[in-house]
Amino acid sequence: MSDADPGRGRAVLDAVAARMLDATVLQRLGIATASTALALAIGLVAVALSGYDPVAFLANVAEGAFGDANAIARTLKFTTMFVLVGVAVAVAFRAGVFNIGVQGQFVVGGFATVIAILQFAPLLPGGTVGGLALLVVGTVAGIVAGGLYGALPGVLKAYGDANEIITTIMLNFIAVGVVGFLVEGPLRGEGNRAPNTERLPEYVQLPPVVFDSPDFSLVGLAVALVVVVVVSFLMVRTRIGYDMVTSGHQAAAATFSGADARRTVVTTMTLSGMVAGVAGAVFAVMIQGYYSDPSGVATYGFDAIAVSLLAANNPLGVVPAALLFGGLDSAGTHLSINSDVPPQLIDGVVGLVVLFVAAPELFRMAARRAGLGGENR
Amino acid sequence: MTGNQATPAVRLDGITKRFGDVVANDGVDFTLERGTVHALLGENGSGKTTLMSVLYGLYDQNEGTIAVDGEERTFDSPRDAMDAGIGMIHQHFQLVGPMTVLQNVVLGHEPTDRGLVDEGSARAEIEAICDRYGFDVDEHLDERVVDLDLGVRQRVEIVKSLYRGAEVLILDEPTAVLTPQEVDSLIEVMSDLAADGRSLVFITHKLDEALSVADEVTVLRDGEAVGTVDAATTTEQELARMMVGREVLFDRRPRETEPGDPMLRVEGLRVTGDRGLERVSDVDFVVREGEILGVAGVQGNGQTELVEALTGLRPADSGAVVFDGDDVTGTSRRGRIRGGLVYIPEDRQTEGLVQDYDLVRNALLGNQTVEPYVTRGLIDWPAVREHAADIVDEYDVQPPTVDVEAASLSGGNQQKFIVGREIEHDPDVMVAAHPTRGVDIGSIEFIHDRLLDLRDEGLAVLLVSSKLEEIRTLSDRIAVMYEGEFIDTVDPDAVTDEDLGLLMAGRRPDEDTAVGEGGPAVADAGETGPTTAPDSEVER
Repeated sequence: MSDADPGRGRAVLDAVAARMLDATVLQRLGIATASTALALAIGLVAVALSGYDPVAFLANVAEGAFGDANAIARTLKFTTMFVLVGVAVAVAFRAGVFNIGVQGQFVVGGFATVIAILQFAPLLPGGTVGGLALLVVGTVAGIVAGGLYGALPGVLKAYGDANEIITTIMLNFIAVGVVGFLVEGPLRGEGNRAPNTERLPEYVQLPPVVFDSPDFSLVGLAVALVVVVVVSFLMVRTRIGYDMVTSGHQAAAATFSGADARRTVVTTMTLSGMVAGVAGAVFAVMIQGYYSDPSGVATYGFDAIAVSLLAANNPLGVVPAALLFGGLDSAGTHLSINSDVPPQLIDGVVGLVVLFVAAPELFRMAARRAGLGGENR
Repeated sequence: MTGNQATPAVRLDGITKRFGDVVANDGVDFTLERGTVHALLGENGSGKTTLMSVLYGLYDQNEGTIAVDGEERTFDSPRDAMDAGIGMIHQHFQLVGPMTVLQNVVLGHEPTDRGLVDEGSARAEIEAICDRYGFDVDEHLDERVVDLDLGVRQRVEIVKSLYRGAEVLILDEPTAVLTPQEVDSLIEVMSDLAADGRSLVFITHKLDEALSVADEVTVLRDGEAVGTVDAATTTEQELARMMVGREVLFDRRPRETEPGDPMLRVEGLRVTGDRGLERVSDVDFVVREGEILGVAGVQGNGQTELVEALTGLRPADSGAVVFDGDDVTGTSRRGRIRGGLVYIPEDRQTEGLVQDYDLVRNALLGNQTVEPYVTRGLIDWPAVREHAADIVDEYDVQPPTVDVEAASLSGGNQQKFIVGREIEHDPDVMVAAHPTRGVDIGSIEFIHDRLLDLRDEGLAVLLVSSKLEEIRTLSDRIAVMYEGEFIDTVDPDAVTDEDLGLLMAGRRPDEDTAVGEGGPAVADAGETGPTTAPDSEVER
């Protein structure tokens, strides 16, 4: 039995929710900044209580996130990845499809990129021209593989009524397992002690621009930003995007308007997987230079869900959200090397920041769902 | 609960409940006598559930009083109402699927023994209730609710209310989810409960069910109580007329043109509803250019499924739907929109508008394949904005701006926007389902005028409405739908309200009530074409 109690608590919640929902973009940025500061302050208390120097900790955070060119390159490297996987998640969530399988699509896409480049390398000339051609081949392979791996749960949902949350989680395990098996045995590079594929040829890499970093190139970040622009355009300015977003808002209205609900689900999952595939390709080419057992690889595809939620599933909002996550990860990496603060504590502080920054957005989502904040929300 | 026989179990006096500008209940009086079944009859949106939700403590009334056993009460929550012996069984059952029947029944009212749930005494008590009324629920006590049929689940809900000491039981559309056999057994249960001294409110829109079990029937229409009648002396057609009412409407506008060629033709259409039952059974009809065919009938007789099959939202099992000579039976919704079919949907809140889109984005809904708004898949938002502004302007949508969310408009203005958007689509065929439901009187007139304009411009219009007067005012012919069939097609000028009431209650026509012109035209127009001009020129 629903027990509606229109009491005072509800009225207070209503007022707060209305205030939160009406906040402008600038106010939201202000709230996010204040949240970060507050979370850091609380984190520093915890650091101090644990017997470490909070001032040094804070200095290390700043230094690790943007202290020098290396730190900035590292922050931007993480940001690039978070932008791409974040957009992949946002596309699906926007359309009301819960693609938890971005990690799997990211792994399959990256692996396909490496395999395609290794396969085609002997057939093409070396040097800049060959490198460029192989980059294109690899990226296309990553997009296609990621897209197909996303389309699969899309088809299962659309035509088999299989819950996408469950199927995509299962497909994550399958992706990691199968790719892990392949790099372990059949596709392991000759003479490799670790379970890795062969290295990509030297000439297949993103050119260093401004930053002279082994695993970051501004070109990679540029690719990510282009993806953001393309996806935003697609969502806002095209029929496909309108159908997708409308399906996410109000499925019955989308059906009324002639959008084919099943096809929209498949399109959404495919697009989401394609973006995850781009993320995989950038990861393989820019960061790794080969493909290793994915069970040991960074789990960008899971962090992506937090990035997307923080951005309210808006592809443009993913950029600042990814920058925050990138900075925090970079600071965490720096801290774990340059201080004796235990990694658990670092993760705790990072977690606090994410929690605090995400809380207002989660509150907004919950308020909308619960119908708080006055009528007609 | 004491109270002697003379005091009614529940008395509602002048209940008014408003939601924003919408008046859901307008000064409704309702008296439930002890030991009786009282049917609350009305169309969807007539305010039945709202009225009972006020009694059950879900809503606070704006005006009026509630008396239980002659004592004035205010209920702040369902818990208060339950404590006063009132139980409500909702349309959607409030059961926890993975838990057992026993757990569901005692949930929140568990008998305890030194802090532990006393399952034994709960079991005994439930069995006693079941024995008393001959329920089979005790056979399922340890089964999970998800594994049970809907009919059994409903009895679990009833047992749950009785277990909590309900003297007054409100059943909200309890037959909607049941098979005919389950309906029969529910009706038996209701009679037994009443015979045992409990008082029941039976919310329904089905005439025969109301008459088969109720002692009294109160009819609601547009939030007002039309009247209370004794079930023993009333008839289905009287109830049908009370439900759909007789509003003071406008004179019919004389037509200036004659209907032309057949534009929409339906042959042998069969459609299955959501619950796997056939809801449209072998329906044939033709709507010609410049003609409005009204489909009358008590709600739930297959009108919704018919409309969905015509508009491409639901597949047909067999038969054909033909627009202007093209068979579109297998064509997608989008294909039919492209082919010139527009649709004013029954449910504007969930289908016709995206509530949290502004009117610009809503103006594109259904227009995704129309140039210049979308060219080769690319949306031209400035053009859409201009279009939205034109609709708001020409169809008098208030407030006169496109930068508001659809949800913030009143029902009448939402509907005017939808009507405008669909008409501006430049259609050949219009399907309008309850186009003025829940709409204020000014907007009703406006929408009626637009539909008549469409007729005069030579469109084929299929109008489904549960408002008899609307159907009579607008239609050139009236088809009456009953249990999935068109049982007759009549001339609105020649038919009386009594005849329509009879037809809507399922009485098949005698020779002299069927109207010659409409009948043969339906059967023959497809083959012979409009060689003879119809002679039913309307002048009144």
